[in-house]
Amino acid sequence: MNSKTLSTAEMREAFFIELYKKAFPAVARYIAKMGGSFEQAQDIFQDALLVYYEKVVAANADVVVNEKAYLLGVAKNLWLQHYKMDSKNQSLDNMDIEETTDQQPVSGKLMHYLATTGKKCMELLKACYYDTLPLSDVVSLFNYSGTHSATVAKYKCLEKVRETVKQQSLSYADFIE
Amino acid sequence: MNNIKAIDDYLFGNIAPGDSLLFEAKILLSTALNDDVQLQKDTHAVITQYGRQSIKAEVLAVQKKLSTEPQHSNFMQRIVNLFKK
Repeated sequence: MNSKTLSTAEMREAFFIELYKKAFPAVARYIAKMGGSFEQAQDIFQDALLVYYEKVVAANADVVVNEKAYLLGVAKNLWLQHYKMDSKNQSLDNMDIEETTDQQPVSGKLMHYLATTGKKCMELLKACYYDTLPLSDVVSLFNYSGTHSATVAKYKCLEKVRETVKQQSLSYADFIE
Repeated sequence: MNNIKAIDDYLFGNIAPGDSLLFEAKILLSTALNDDVQLQKDTHAVITQYGRQSIKAEVLAVQKKLSTEPQHSNFMQRIVNLFKK
């Protein structure tokens, strides 16, 4: 699986359904065994899928051979981090999930502003930088005439959002919670 | 488009090592450029967070689908049963 096959919401839905069927039973069994609830198992699995998605769309996505084992490993670590205070005694093997938590959270206020007034730009920037889609996919997804116009639009949007972040950062504490 | 592309190329390692060193020297010599680089890093953090929220919403929609659509009811029920004492 690579980012090219996950370029649309429909493709991602099929991808996530497949992963639920493949790995959620094992994760739920583990959480149940550890005394957790169904809701906790769902929360943990959602986060594990997010971690896996980011790994898949990254350049080195093909390193995961066994998706079920990977998701179970991530889920175990997330469970120990979030719900068990004695996780200090656990092995640090496979603890590569920190990569998703290295950034400051942005306030709901700024995110809401960007998601409403600048939604088109945010979707374009998400596709380019977060989903790391090839430019050719970006062209067809957003109906650009070619890669040049898509590139120009990307940088214009980045400039626009950067300006918004700058305005907000004039009162920095306001958007870093 | 100001220095947006140049900063992006630097941040994502899309320039030759020598050019990267030169860019770092420019950052050291220019407070304005240094501020713009930091601002662009913050902007990419915002994009990442937006992306995460968006993908999480898609995952939640899938979870809801599995919980409510008849063709998946056996699958979810078997998992719910794991938590019954």
